[in-house]
Amino acid sequence: MKGPFLRSPQSTRGLMVQVVVAASPALFAAVVRLGAPAAAAILSAVAGAVAVEATLKHRSVADGSAVVTGAIVALLLPADAPPWLAAIAGALAIGLGKAPWGGLGKNPFNPAALSRAVLMVALPAHFFAPAWRWDAVTAASPLSKEIGATAPSWTALVVGDAPGCLGQAAPWAVVAGGLLLVALRTIDWRVPLAYLSAIAAIALVLPGGARVTGHAPWLVGDPMLHLFGGGTLVAAFFLLTDPATAPMSQGGRIAFAWIAAIATMAIRNFTPYPDGAALAVLLANACAPWLDRVTIERRTQLGTSSRARRGRREWRVPWGRQREVSDGARPSGGTRSSRPTGS
Amino acid sequence: MSALRARIAALLGLAAPVPTRKLTRDAAIVWLPPPATVRLPVAGLDLAVATGELVAAHALVARSPATARWQRRVHTPLGGRVEVVDGAIAVHGAPAAATIEGRHRDPGSLDRDEVVAAAREAGIVGLGGGMFPTYAKLDPAHPIDTVLVNGCESEPYFTCDHRVLSEHRDELDCGLALAMRAVGARAGVVVDREAYYPAGYERFVVRDQLGRDIPVRKLPRDVGALVLNVQSVRALHRAVCLGEPLVSRVITVAGGAVRRPGNYQVLIGTPIAEVLAACGVDPAHAAAIVAGGPMMGHGVAPDDVITAGTGGVLALTAAEVGARAEHPCIRCGRCVDACPIGLPVPLLVERPGPEVLRCFGCGACHYVCPSAIPLTSRLREASVQEFRWE
Repeated sequence: MKGPFLRSPQSTRGLMVQVVVAASPALFAAVVRLGAPAAAAILSAVAGAVAVEATLKHRSVADGSAVVTGAIVALLLPADAPPWLAAIAGALAIGLGKAPWGGLGKNPFNPAALSRAVLMVALPAHFFAPAWRWDAVTAASPLSKEIGATAPSWTALVVGDAPGCLGQAAPWAVVAGGLLLVALRTIDWRVPLAYLSAIAAIALVLPGGARVTGHAPWLVGDPMLHLFGGGTLVAAFFLLTDPATAPMSQGGRIAFAWIAAIATMAIRNFTPYPDGAALAVLLANACAPWLDRVTIERRTQLGTSSRARRGRREWRVPWGRQREVSDGARPSGGTRSSRPTGS
Repeated sequence: MSALRARIAALLGLAAPVPTRKLTRDAAIVWLPPPATVRLPVAGLDLAVATGELVAAHALVARSPATARWQRRVHTPLGGRVEVVDGAIAVHGAPAAATIEGRHRDPGSLDRDEVVAAAREAGIVGLGGGMFPTYAKLDPAHPIDTVLVNGCESEPYFTCDHRVLSEHRDELDCGLALAMRAVGARAGVVVDREAYYPAGYERFVVRDQLGRDIPVRKLPRDVGALVLNVQSVRALHRAVCLGEPLVSRVITVAGGAVRRPGNYQVLIGTPIAEVLAACGVDPAHAAAIVAGGPMMGHGVAPDDVITAGTGGVLALTAAEVGARAEHPCIRCGRCVDACPIGLPVPLLVERPGPEVLRCFGCGACHYVCPSAIPLTSRLREASVQEFRWE
């Protein structure tokens, strides 16, 4: 019998539970702010995803992946989505985004982003309607280029008063959940960091002009708007970090996040679409197999992979750095004795 | 309440990793009582004794044929009556058996040939697990400038080399000086730093200490380094200065199913069952009994014995082994991150290529896989296929 005989406690099921736990503050905050309709939408999205998963031949309901997909679909729904739309979105995510590709781990595109993209095309009225109400105030998303859109205030963005998708009702809750995932090492911290920093950097340097931004001149030069507006945070912490659709190496994942950031900003500033995060994620997903090829395959072909890899810290076998020299008299570390002591 | 908290943590996948080294880190080396019988595997060697013969402890019982490229010698750790069973020599201990006293020598008076000859005659082999004859590594054909004493036992649970480093530093210093003289090295380094999992792999020790990369299919000697295990260096000292052949080693006995974990000096050839009994292991309670490290070791068969390469014996509970059903790969890339040589593990499992031959089976990918895919076994199968093609 050959080993290894040890396993990390981190299981696939555990990963799914962690993502659901991390998404729940944002979902809960959305229910608090938007009331019963949001709760109905969230439950419908999860129910739609799980129901389709349960009908599949190779179903994997027990591992919780369908619940995760449903929760992320809910985060991407328009804030006023009716339950039937949410249920269709959840069902599409599994039925179109995951099942036809061979199930868990084999889908090339993020199921939640794919479902949103399909519905944006199929039912544009629900995604591009400028009206988004709470406190009896109707407003257009600050990212939209429609007449009637207004420049947001700083605090409104962070607290979640700026109109947008359901996950945007409380951006701070999305960030809190994302930081939990980083702390638990469920996701690679490089992905949200690379994505958000690239978004902010591009926002600062992108040239403006009425032709580019339509009726929304505030789209230029304001990184806060682009970080907290639209689905940026949801994409950073929940879409781009989906293991199945991201590259498998650290370098690949950073490039992947940069591609998504460039695409997000390009869609926001050069197309009529208000929020490009989900579409940008799909575009980056399409690059992932290629990024895998140029990062891990070429790296080993060149024979450079035995080079120092001392920098890596994540997801490593965790018993490094545990040992101290217990007699205290000797420093831990290499001790040199250049002179033979026996003679 | 704590049970509930443990349940929640387990559900989230946050079960704390078992404290592995803490079990035995401060356990001083103690001698395990000698067994009634030792069994020495001698397949392929010429026997120097016959069934029924009475031998003294430390007597030579088997040696390589004169034509063999690498010379091995096996000495009995126990005096008594010999019984030759297939592929092995069993020595049934006799209470009054004498011990062959070795020749005490002053290390300062020896030249390099005498050191190499003493290592060859004492039958010293690599005690880190490789069991390659040490005298052959002292070969002068390759210029060597630095001798590295490898104390980076990176396997979890194992602290025996660490204890040898702490308790027998004088013997190590003498052994290192002898090894340096044997190869004409200018520098010697005792490495006891262990910062990440396979840090004890020879190539990584050379890379981390000297900054020299060893090319594929080359050895440390090709970049001017000699790497010897801590216990091999100690054995070299004892062979040269005390005339003692390689008859015992220090092992770690640990794991959740061990009642008295610790570091024990044992005679080579001691049945593993006796070691377990002495340390209070109930085999029925252990999910796996492993010889030689939980990552790169192997499961113990009922009649296995401690060999020169056995760094320890572990009795692991089901929680430690973490057995769970295999799930589909979610392409999370943890295995790629964990692989110390950066192999594209999932791609190689799907479609093996010649790269897979560089896998040395450290088991890091197996450990981190959340889907519980036995990646290391898959890579092993792939490299067997690949080797056949080559």
